[in-house]
Amino acid sequence: MKKSKVYTILLSLFVLGFTACDDNLDVEPEQDLSPEVATATPANIQNILVGMYTEARENDSYGGHIALASELLADDDHLSWNGTYVQPAEFDEKAILADNSYVRDIWMNGYEIINQANIVLANLDVFEDEDARAQVEGEAKFLRGLAYFDLVRLFSMPYEMGANGGELGVPIVLEPVLDASAIVYPARNTIEEGYSQVLNDLTDAYALLPEDNGYYASKYSAQGLLARVYLQRGDYEQARDAADDVIENSGFELVSDFSEAFNNDENSNEDILAFQVTSQDASWNAFNEFWGGYDYGGRSGDPDLSITEEHFDIYDDPNDDRAMFFYETDRGIATLKWQSQYANIPFIRLAEMYLIRAEANERLGTEVGATPLEDINTLRARANASLLDSVDLEEILMERRRELAFEGFALFDAKRLKRDIGDIPYNANNLVLPIPLREMDANEELVQNPGY
Amino acid sequence: MKIKNYLFLGLFLISTIVLAQEKEISGAVVGENGLPLIGVNIIIEGTSRGTQTDFDGNYSINANPGDILVYSFVGFGTEKRTVGAEEVINVQMTADNSLEEVVVVGYGTQSKRKVTDNIASISEDEINNIPIPSLQGALTGKAAGVQITQINGKVEGGVKMRIRGISSISSSQEPLYVIDGMPLINDDESVSQAPINPLISLNPNDIASIEILKDASSAAIYGARGTNGVVLITTKSGKSGKTKISMNTSMGWSEPTNTLDWLNAEQYVELFTEASANSYGAEDTWLTEEGGYFDWMANGLDWRNGEVDTDWQSLALVDGSVQDHTISISGGSEKTTFFLSGGYNRTEAIVRGNDLERYSVRTNVDHKASDRLNVGVNVGISKTHISRIGTDNSFSTPLQAIAQSPLSPAFLENGIPNNESTIYYNFLMQEYNGDWDSDIFRVLFNTYAEYYLMEELSFRSEFGYDNNNQTEEYFAGSLTESASTNGYADANAVQSDRYSLSNYFTYNTTFVEDYDLEVILGMSFEESARKRQFVAGTGFASDDLQTVDSASEIIDGFSTRTKYNFLSYFSRATFSLFDKYLLKASLRYDGSSRFGAENRYGWFPAASAGWIISEEDFFDNSETISLLKLRGSWGVTGNAGIGNFASLGLFTGGAYNKIATLYPSQLGNPDLKWERTDQVDIGLDFGFYNNRLSGEVDYYVKKTNDLLLNQPVPGTSGFPSITRNVGSMANRGFEFVLNTKNFTSEDFKWDTSFNLSTLDNEVTDLPGGDIVSGVNIVREGETISSFYLVEYAGVDPANGDALFYKNTLLADGSRDRTTTASYNEASRVVLGSPYPDLMMGLTNTMYFHNFDLSFTFQGEWGSSLYNSGGKFQSGNARYEDNQTVDQLDRWQQPGDITDVPQARMYSTNGQQDSSRYLEESDFIRLRNLAFGYTFPFEWTQRFSVDRLRVYFTGVNLLTFTDYSGYDPESTYDNNGNFNINVGETFYSAPPAKTYTIGLNIDI
Repeated sequence: MKKSKVYTILLSLFVLGFTACDDNLDVEPEQDLSPEVATATPANIQNILVGMYTEARENDSYGGHIALASELLADDDHLSWNGTYVQPAEFDEKAILADNSYVRDIWMNGYEIINQANIVLANLDVFEDEDARAQVEGEAKFLRGLAYFDLVRLFSMPYEMGANGGELGVPIVLEPVLDASAIVYPARNTIEEGYSQVLNDLTDAYALLPEDNGYYASKYSAQGLLARVYLQRGDYEQARDAADDVIENSGFELVSDFSEAFNNDENSNEDILAFQVTSQDASWNAFNEFWGGYDYGGRSGDPDLSITEEHFDIYDDPNDDRAMFFYETDRGIATLKWQSQYANIPFIRLAEMYLIRAEANERLGTEVGATPLEDINTLRARANASLLDSVDLEEILMERRRELAFEGFALFDAKRLKRDIGDIPYNANNLVLPIPLREMDANEELVQNPGY
Repeated sequence: MKIKNYLFLGLFLISTIVLAQEKEISGAVVGENGLPLIGVNIIIEGTSRGTQTDFDGNYSINANPGDILVYSFVGFGTEKRTVGAEEVINVQMTADNSLEEVVVVGYGTQSKRKVTDNIASISEDEINNIPIPSLQGALTGKAAGVQITQINGKVEGGVKMRIRGISSISSSQEPLYVIDGMPLINDDESVSQAPINPLISLNPNDIASIEILKDASSAAIYGARGTNGVVLITTKSGKSGKTKISMNTSMGWSEPTNTLDWLNAEQYVELFTEASANSYGAEDTWLTEEGGYFDWMANGLDWRNGEVDTDWQSLALVDGSVQDHTISISGGSEKTTFFLSGGYNRTEAIVRGNDLERYSVRTNVDHKASDRLNVGVNVGISKTHISRIGTDNSFSTPLQAIAQSPLSPAFLENGIPNNESTIYYNFLMQEYNGDWDSDIFRVLFNTYAEYYLMEELSFRSEFGYDNNNQTEEYFAGSLTESASTNGYADANAVQSDRYSLSNYFTYNTTFVEDYDLEVILGMSFEESARKRQFVAGTGFASDDLQTVDSASEIIDGFSTRTKYNFLSYFSRATFSLFDKYLLKASLRYDGSSRFGAENRYGWFPAASAGWIISEEDFFDNSETISLLKLRGSWGVTGNAGIGNFASLGLFTGGAYNKIATLYPSQLGNPDLKWERTDQVDIGLDFGFYNNRLSGEVDYYVKKTNDLLLNQPVPGTSGFPSITRNVGSMANRGFEFVLNTKNFTSEDFKWDTSFNLSTLDNEVTDLPGGDIVSGVNIVREGETISSFYLVEYAGVDPANGDALFYKNTLLADGSRDRTTTASYNEASRVVLGSPYPDLMMGLTNTMYFHNFDLSFTFQGEWGSSLYNSGGKFQSGNARYEDNQTVDQLDRWQQPGDITDVPQARMYSTNGQQDSSRYLEESDFIRLRNLAFGYTFPFEWTQRFSVDRLRVYFTGVNLLTFTDYSGYDPESTYDNNGNFNINVGETFYSAPPAKTYTIGLNIDI
């Protein structure tokens, strides 16, 4: 081989190396979409919207931990915590540390839902179809309202209408964050501002959403949640009317057998909204994890949350299905409500609407839709409990506990009813979650809750 | 230099030739190990007459009595013998590996004497025959400023190598590994959070040398990936001459370096009965009553009469074993040399159920095609099988068994592990009814062609291919934690491959006589791709059907693909003048697909200079000083160890009730750019008394700016963090290396190598303020990852309450040192660092007649370790977990002075994260020891064996530490890939103490 030829080959190899590879540095991700693409079409916005339900279903929040915090914090002696995790143990002991990771994740998850809602709401322009647009807007606002409602209930002092609305709630963020430049460091808004955001979002959702929307949020999901919010605020008139609207107009019906309301793979007739769980979405429900026996997918406490003898005092009729809705494990008594690992998580059941209507009617002395006695007996009849001849507020609230036990209402009911937890006052500092330590560390504008 | 000297000597002595009676002298030349040396030059001093040794190391030459024979050989000290009456002169030559050796640098080699950078060289003698499956483990304590820590006692466990401190917060802190010129894939592919050491598939016995490029000037030739240092691995090659067969075989056993004392059944009953009484009153006998909690634990056995007392620790930490066999064949002709090897290693960990088996082969061939063309190929293939166990944070990991109550029997009467009455899942069930295997298949291939266009100018092209193919299969049967789904299985497969292409010119010339110049110029391109497939299923017909194929329901599955590329141009020039003034400069231009389009490329310059003072006239003929070299270097390196698409905003697909979804998974930052590290190093190399005493002193300052940081952002943004270039960090340190030849007589030789290094790491700028993660903090002015905790103040003698220092910042800047029993009232403060500020290594090597002994001590000072499991293990019976015996020292009545608060079952009293569980972790360790006997050559030769050596080696034989936990080096493997959360231990197994006996045979 001639020398010059060798040179030529080598040089061209070299030059090739210098020039040809530059394009190779453009490598696109194959698993992910850019924000521009993800928000460009109605189909993608719809995907982001559905993703918000996945976010809400996370164990961190509506998949179980919010209810876990609520039930443990409000429990005096009806539950026994047998688990090994420290975070729920802190709830049980009413001695939460600011670095409790369950608290952190309730917060983080709430704002993830909110940001995704904000992203959807900021990109509604891509919809040309008015109905589709209204539905998407309604669902996004529903989920955003839901997230703010629980954040403000958990992270601020018990709300007393007209009294402490000016106290610190949670930061309200309504702008989407899609890149670094959009990050803000918000201070906490007031409790009142939090509630008005919740009410605005939910009333908008009610106006925008269709009456029937499959297992996604419908008009009546919004109305049902509104009933819950009004009740929490002590706005009984509105609570009553909203609950009545759902009962009368939504088409949902109580299932005939109490047991049919739980452990369903598909929504029951009384599920106004339920979070969908399947073994296929790589998700399970954290209700089952903590409340279920070991043989049914629960943790090693078998169950981590067992029911004590004291709890059974709330049932006045031993034949009440709800008094028998339990099973024995090797180490204790477990509720049947969360026995199945991959069952849907009922979130708003029609039974709650009857209870809200009954309580509000009773408090207001009205009989909108039905008398309190009728509503209570509707529930008792369904559970095969003896029917009552008369009810008072105390009895209605007792019925509420029987019906909604272990579904996450305990703390919020205790606070609105000013019911102390043992010797801990209902408005004690340690019944309010701390602003997560990581959030305090990341945002100097925040003020910690008293006692932390 | 050498040639010049001989010429000079020749000229000078030519006139003094004395003609006398010539006779034939013959003999053999052998090395230190008794092996014949081939090709040794023998000349008669003062003449040009000479000869060489043949393939058996023999020579013969005609000489006169009184003549001086000069024996010289590359890499060995020159020997001289005066011819007397004898006719046979046998010579043993000693390796001179201190200053004339050649070191591998990026894209070439350099004489160590002329190196102006800080490079630590580790030879094969220091690596081979150490019975540790991981390559990095064998390097521990051998190089100044290099900290190597195996995460914990699991055999496949990740290893952290930190060269000159920590230079990054959120991107990689690991060095770049380069094997025979090819950058290695160094990604952890473990399916669990506990990392697998990516280099576990390399056989350390195949390695000829390791160079660690520590300063920026040496590492800058690897530009964007040089910040954490570069580890250059050179595999063995053959030498022309006699074909040599070497065998090394060793076997041994191992045990944990440490165990702890736990409560026995009686103590457990005593402590928890008291703890319950303190919480619920003595009248509540739920623990001890008939059918109570203790009865439940004992599962029918009578704990009251000592019928059950399970020592769970002894079930988890067991005796391990190790065997290692390597056979290699090397040799070649003048044109072609080869090295072939096959290795087998089997290591059973001291943690039950964890073992590793590795088969490896290597073929290295070099061929001189013509005077101008050299070609070669290196291929290493290995298959590694690992039986894995759960991460430290899983109930199925053996060491979590120490949490179980001693009242619970480990097995049922029928021999099946007891999972009916243990407070936690019984890990033994995993062994009985589960399986977790990992198989790694790795191919390392590289080939080169080198063509000399002229004598001075060569062109070299290298092509490398690295394939890491890993599958993991997991099965948990119907009795395990997956009981509710009737079993669970998953399978995970990862295919990572990387090809790299480098082309470069080398121009090497000597102008006039005293000016040496070497210039390289080249480019390289690298593409790394990774594919992963995963599937999981539940519901198995039988526990004997363990693959996903038999699952009745597929519950998860995915496949992913990702890729990243590097395109680089580099150049380096080295210049030396009169052999004493040395200059070097290099420049690299790196582009990576990982960075935003605007900041894709980065420049990485470096320069260094050296002055060999001892070459100056005023040192001429100094008897004392043999070398004095002053060096200084500066350079810029980068760090690209971030996610492949870290600059982009991303939406990822998911599902809700089988409906497709999209969710934002990453916040974009188009401004993301290279992290930049400027490093300055000043050093002095010295050698005294013909290098019997030699060493190096270095001081370096390493400043990293534009830190790639996963900066926490307010959660109200919907994201936890974002990758940004913010902040700066500095590492400063002294390094001191001293090598001495204490004795060099023929029968007794004793060398000592000592290294000492200091490290001062400081976060110098952090605009976003503190980053707190778990118990660690990144704060301006502090060492990265310093511990940030509430300070424990002991126990209130009056009531047994745990106390904490308030440490509230007062107006005058001091802290409120009053104590409080309310944890939430106490402020966190910085309390120590997880990184040592002083490290030491000491290696002694001795030869006495045919015996050899070497041992390495290694020490670290200044670091602390936080036991995150402390709240459970030593938490004065807050949880029902078994406790360390020191908890018996609890407060019992007013006036008791102790550090252990009153035991209150299910009621927090001092178990919160605090300095109670933080402890200094200084230690000195006898890292390894080898003691061998080589049978006399004369004797073994009768069996045609060149060398026969039997040896004993030990690893981690002695540990001196005040640390009271399992081991000062064992850390939480779930955090193995986290940068900020370091220095934490959580049911982390101690390393193994290993004893082996072995045999080397060379034929």
